[in-house]
Amino acid sequence: MPAFFHFLDDVALADLAFDAEGDSVQGVFEAASQAVMEAMADPKTVGATWERRVEHTGADLAELLFDWLSDFVYWKDAAGVVFSRAVIAVTQAGGQWTLAATLIGEPVNQATQVLRNDVKGVTKHLYRLYQDNGRWRARVVLDV
Amino acid sequence: MKCNTAMKVVRISDEVWEIPVTEKPGMLVPARIYGTESILRAMDTGVFEQVTNVACLPGIRRYALCMPDGHWGYGFPIGGVAAFDVRSGIISPGGVGYDVNCGMRLIRSDLTLADVQPKLDLLMTELFRRVPAGVGASGFVSMNRSSFDRVMTKGARWCIEQGYGWHRDLERMEQGGCLPGADPGKVSDHAVTRGMNQLGTLGSGNHYLEVQVVSNDRIFDRETAAAFGITGQDQIVIMVHCGSRGFGHQVASDYLKVFEKAMRRYGITVKDQQLACAPFLSEEGQDYFAAMNCAANTAFANRQVITHQIREAFAAVFGRSGEELGMELVYDVAHNIAKVERYPEGELVVHRKGATRAFGPGSQDLPACYRSVGQPVICGGSMETGSYLLVGTTRATEDTFGSTMHGSGRTMSRTQAKKSISGEQLQQQMKQRGILVKAVSMSGLAEEAGFAYKNISEVVESVERAGITKKVAELRPIGNIKG
Repeated sequence: MPAFFHFLDDVALADLAFDAEGDSVQGVFEAASQAVMEAMADPKTVGATWERRVEHTGADLAELLFDWLSDFVYWKDAAGVVFSRAVIAVTQAGGQWTLAATLIGEPVNQATQVLRNDVKGVTKHLYRLYQDNGRWRARVVLDV
Repeated sequence: MKCNTAMKVVRISDEVWEIPVTEKPGMLVPARIYGTESILRAMDTGVFEQVTNVACLPGIRRYALCMPDGHWGYGFPIGGVAAFDVRSGIISPGGVGYDVNCGMRLIRSDLTLADVQPKLDLLMTELFRRVPAGVGASGFVSMNRSSFDRVMTKGARWCIEQGYGWHRDLERMEQGGCLPGADPGKVSDHAVTRGMNQLGTLGSGNHYLEVQVVSNDRIFDRETAAAFGITGQDQIVIMVHCGSRGFGHQVASDYLKVFEKAMRRYGITVKDQQLACAPFLSEEGQDYFAAMNCAANTAFANRQVITHQIREAFAAVFGRSGEELGMELVYDVAHNIAKVERYPEGELVVHRKGATRAFGPGSQDLPACYRSVGQPVICGGSMETGSYLLVGTTRATEDTFGSTMHGSGRTMSRTQAKKSISGEQLQQQMKQRGILVKAVSMSGLAEEAGFAYKNISEVVESVERAGITKKVAELRPIGNIKG
């Protein structure tokens, strides 16, 4: 089954919650990344004139995902961009996980992009990354 | 009493309900929820769980409180109020909220509906152009690290020094628009980078700028209204709801991580990771307090720059200066903050999260112009149903650490609201009802539909009957700007 995400109706009344899942760590990271990008803007309406390399290393995979998703929020504010795509590679060596990624997008343009929520942060509320029946799953609540 | 909880809820009065300390292991004080029986019945499970979790935090005094607009939040419920002893108690970013000093500002004018209606479209276009909103919006104020440091320490005063407002504006802000003890050295570079370009921007979510009308028949206390500069006669006022933007959020996120580690060192356990906290007088607690004050001051500055832009927009459209149009600030008040205040128990760190300070007449913390009547309390409703101007009471000081409601409170998730109506449909419906909406995001607009919120009038009535605020005037929207 391919990786996917869906926004949740009944969780986080004032904010935005989603579940993401994939067959692998890489898959769930990609699905969660797509959810965060789509929470901010319709990626199909966002170009690819801006990019940034990001790397995180750590033993705690949940913290790695949390920090990575927080990067979207940081660069959205720091560089004034929204995102069309993220290229991700998650690898494990010697008990350490490494995420090497490229964020791709373009400066915010209200005339050409379908903009959605100004996500203020990734929260730890109900936050989970876990493996269940061979699938990797994450629950994330975004503060908007 | 049937509520969304298995815990025992005891009626104290028609508007005050108590969950005794016996209902959850570790509760140090009872939890008290304000609201009518119907409001209480409709409250989500999260409120009951969270307010009783707060009641377990070290150093809490009297009660863990939740206002009638309460709903689930991060750690504390939205609408949560809790006061902790300065010496034995804690400070928690979860009790302040991510959007530090998210707050309300109300500006009066001498204009009437008859003056504004013919030019409403032009006015809303001009406001939309001058007050950036939505995802990734940056403000017009050019900043560097040094000037942003001064914003962090001076708050709204920095704006006045730069010409973005009038000196007398400062008198009409909670704590003069500047909290003491702000230390930029306690703020991360990440937070600064996120915040530096956002001064003078609204953001998105439930943040807005609204042009409103005060009709004669919707003034409930003429004497107090007059003291606030509200005269009715279809008077135009402008309401702003926003906070410290990405900067405040980063400060909260940074210190939640610090506190997660600090709790182990101090032997503090909490029932929810988002209640991470540290003793107020610890190094970590004081560092967060200094950084939070920086964020609070940038929020005051943010709303001040927006006020300047509003005055400029009105001046451009009506051909008279903001002063000539009588565009005086009524008040600016925080509803996400932690402050040290003095009560009979001594000095307490009062956390208000989605709750407004509501000091009554005679408070020395109020400006001279309001000391005899009490503090203006600005409560935003949904963009469809209107808002209220209230006034603080002595009873609030006695019962709720000088606190009251802040808005109407959501009852439906954003995702559900979007499934119920499109932004375009809502915009059209509101136009037919005489409310002109300019929005950056149509899906964001749909998320803020009136049906996703509680009935603000019922919420306001409940705090009035509880005696913790009094109604002054109802404000009806005619124009709204959203991110």
